[in-house]
Amino acid sequence: MVLKIHGHAIAPLVRLVAEVCREKEVPYELVNVEVYKGEHKTPAFKEFQPFGQVPYIDDDGFVLYESRAICRYIAKKYASQGTPDLVPRDPKAEAIFEQAVSIETSNFYPFALGITTEKIVKKHRGLEPNEARLSDLVNNLKAKLDVYEVILGKQAYLAGGSITLADLFHLPYGTIVFEELGYDMLEDRPNVARWWKEITARPSWLAVKAKA
Amino acid sequence: MIKLYGFPLSTCTRLVALVCKEKNVPYEIISVNLAKGEQKNPSFMAVQPFGQVPYIDDDGFLLYESRAIARYLSKKYPNQGTSLIPSDPKAEALFEQASSIETFNFNAFVAPIVVEKVFKPRRGLQTNEERVKELLASLLPKMDAYDLILGKQKYLAGDSVTLADLSHLPYGTAFYGLGDVFTEVFESRPNLARWWKDISNRPAWLAVKDGA
Ligand SMILES: N[C@@H](CCC(=O)N[C@@H](CS)C(=O)NCC(=O)O)C(=O)O
Ligand SMILES: N[C@@H](CCC(=O)N[C@@H](CS)C(=O)NCC(=O)O)C(=O)O
Repeated sequence: MVLKIHGHAIAPLVRLVAEVCREKEVPYELVNVEVYKGEHKTPAFKEFQPFGQVPYIDDDGFVLYESRAICRYIAKKYASQGTPDLVPRDPKAEAIFEQAVSIETSNFYPFALGITTEKIVKKHRGLEPNEARLSDLVNNLKAKLDVYEVILGKQAYLAGGSITLADLFHLPYGTIVFEELGYDMLEDRPNVARWWKEITARPSWLAVKAKA
Repeated sequence: MIKLYGFPLSTCTRLVALVCKEKNVPYEIISVNLAKGEQKNPSFMAVQPFGQVPYIDDDGFLLYESRAIARYLSKKYPNQGTSLIPSDPKAEALFEQASSIETFNFNAFVAPIVVEKVFKPRRGLQTNEERVKELLASLLPKMDAYDLILGKQKYLAGDSVTLADLSHLPYGTAFYGLGDVFTEVFESRPNLARWWKDISNRPAWLAVKDGA
């Protein structure tokens, strides 16, 4: 049975899972969750995702949530098709991949998510952004990207010479911050800019952006 | 022997030390004095470009990011000490799910609360109580979901302890130690309380809790 992604087509982390499916040439069906009507907070939904968030997948009865766990599961299950080594197998390469994954989790995601919350999520709820907090987030993200600039000056991707999930994990919220919100953080950081251009030009991501 | 460059009292250094204890892997601490800002020395930042502890040197193999190090050690010594990462693909996926739960639903709120309430005063800075309130309000529904999950299974990834459980200990202990409403977050949820008592009394944690 085709892999089912339960989520909303424009939810950033639903897009992330769709992106990895496309990289791995895994067909999927998006089962729409009416996020705007609060369907993800209903007991029926929470039966599958107790935190009340999208996405979760149903792979022939195997239910899994947390987008990054799903991406790893797909990358490993379909190791021999599509883009290779999204999770490297050699133990040391795998450790460096884990380092890169943690870099994204600790040094990118919290700031990019925070900026998105202040500028977009709060607006949807009719709230004003907290300007002090927003400027902290922006400054912090810039400082972290300075370090990315150093790392990406030495290697093509965050975990070394080949693309991995760690790079792809930046796509959903990076697109919001750099593209939708138009924060200019790339201009002064040529290596980050080069990397960003490369990962966002992947046909799989272009396809997902058009339609998860 | 593994060289652990870190600060014996730092949360992230203690996570790595905890895993070494669980896996019976001897390590030597090379102290990096955070109070003196040694983590920002050029020689340190040449290895850990974000200027944060810890990193390890395993016979010339350098790795940073505490969770990446923890995974590396767990996988390098699969048959020694406590098994911390399952190898069956579905069990592994559920471990990844639990690992993400810790990162995004626990650490994302608990770590900044500890920073506000413990680290900032230590550095002579003022706690932003408003922010603590916000973070705590976001944490509570997440802990309800934990209580539900832990009502059905012993640990976060199933019935055996994994690295995903252990990763809660350093920041969780500091958070629990704040007393009143903070301690109550754990104590008022019976399944969460049972789980917390279980993991926080593991001999490996008791051995490094007060210093790696
Ligand atoms: N850590 C979760 C986060 C999922 C998440 O943030 N989902 C968003 C959409 S991208 C959501 O459901 N938001 C609604 C909510 O949190 O109530 C994952 O990676 O799957
Ligand atoms: N994501 C990193 C975080 C490391 C981290 O936050 N280290 C803290 C001590 S627990 C530190 O070095 N703080 C000093 C600083 O940031 O200057 C990891 O897990 O290794």
